[in-house]
Amino acid sequence: MPLLDVRNLEKRYPTFTLDKVSFSLEPGYIMGFIGRNGAGKTTTMKAMLNLIHRDGGEVYINHRSFFENEKACKEEIGFVMGEFDCYKTATLQKITDVTRRFYPAWDEAAYRGYLKRFSLEENKKVKELSAGMRVKYALALALSHDAKLLILDEPTSGLDPVSRDDLLDVFRTVIEDGTRSILFSTHIISDLEKCADYITYIKGGRILASTDVDAFRESYRLVAGDREHLEVRRPKLIGCKEHAFGFTGLIRAEDAPAFAACKVAPADLESIMIYTEQEDGHEEPAL
Amino acid sequence: MKNLLYKEYKLCLVPMVPLFYLFALMLLIPSYPYLVAAFFTCNSIFYLLKQASLNGDMLFSAMLPVPKADVVRARVRFVVIIQMIMFILLIPMILINHRLYPQGNPAGTDGSLTLLAFVLVVFTVFNAICLPGFFRDEAKIDRMFLLGVIGVFGWIILCEGFMIAAKVAPQVPLFAWVEGHLDCYPTTDGAWRAQLLVLGIGALIYGLGTLLTTRRAIRYFEGKDL
Repeated sequence: MPLLDVRNLEKRYPTFTLDKVSFSLEPGYIMGFIGRNGAGKTTTMKAMLNLIHRDGGEVYINHRSFFENEKACKEEIGFVMGEFDCYKTATLQKITDVTRRFYPAWDEAAYRGYLKRFSLEENKKVKELSAGMRVKYALALALSHDAKLLILDEPTSGLDPVSRDDLLDVFRTVIEDGTRSILFSTHIISDLEKCADYITYIKGGRILASTDVDAFRESYRLVAGDREHLEVRRPKLIGCKEHAFGFTGLIRAEDAPAFAACKVAPADLESIMIYTEQEDGHEEPAL
Repeated sequence: MKNLLYKEYKLCLVPMVPLFYLFALMLLIPSYPYLVAAFFTCNSIFYLLKQASLNGDMLFSAMLPVPKADVVRARVRFVVIIQMIMFILLIPMILINHRLYPQGNPAGTDGSLTLLAFVLVVFTVFNAICLPGFFRDEAKIDRMFLLGVIGVFGWIILCEGFMIAAKVAPQVPLFAWVEGHLDCYPTTDGAWRAQLLVLGIGALIYGLGTLLTTRRAIRYFEGKDL
């Protein structure tokens, strides 16, 4: 049974629509939520948590409707929206003192552990922290109340590579008992390659794919060929870049036999995203 | 709710709130429109709302494991607590005012239960304008405060103007009754009864106003995209 089940979530703005977004996440796994800027990642996360008013759809956390059991569901969720950006003149100690009261399962030892691990000093004010340290503080709060589900919007942005790697280790530790899951959005595809089990890809407010990372990768191939190979095969290309000597592009794995005359290679997540986001299916060579 | 009120106290309270309680001392000024003292409490609440807005308090609160409606209820209750402290502080000030100036206040309402009733309406008007506006669009709190100031001073001018008129034209029967029963420190049974009735009406307006203000603010906040 999924720990998180999003069904047909809708949000309509004058210029953007979140269109029946559906995906689910089993306990014990990490799901990467990807898509380019403005694709609807943050809108989806906020709509899931009732931070923006949804126009339709349901969200189930641990088999309970979020919107009918908001308080109980929020106790089981740790939510981080980038860096902690509230109460800039307050000390971390003061903010934690308030926050911990809302969570019956607050784990002070775990909190102290994260403070130490992230080198956070409680007597510092929020405004005295760097962007990366603010992200770490937000994560320390989210990780310290025994949340079953962590929903993290760009948690690794602003962090240096060492801190990012450390954080990804934390993620793996958090889910290793098989009862917790993490949904996190990111632009840093290498983070997904390192730790995500599943991937949900959103484009223009619609879910393009929600599957395990290996299956997602395996369903695409990168191709490279001469210009003469391009024209007849163009309809099968999801996206391509033309250059002076030929082209490179992305195809579905089942179309690989049609590209036998070209070089065909496994696709990586970043290439899949880049080629998929090309609106007209190909990109003209730069002059 | 207890935890949300604690959050209001620890993270949202601004120094202007306790500092502006000193304006209760305005009742020690001879000949002054004492209702203005209540405005300064409203002013301190504006600072509280403004600071909450700058601090990202709405989003922080909405992310806590509480229903969105409770975030509104806690904020309104905190504002009510601030206003009730001022209300209570005004009571000894009225007693001292009477000792200092037994002849009354030629510049407006005398220190009396009527004054306290008018204060409650000042708070009601301010809350009705500013609180739902804050939860509808916190970025426009300055504009809401300006409207609140217009509303509050409209009421203050109405009250104080009426009481000054009652003082300068005691030959008018209504004014004579007001001067003898409402606009005076209550010493007779008739004045006590009349002023307690006015205070009761003021309390009723404040209670109902707070209820309606809360409902409206909840409706705005629940439909708001954070």
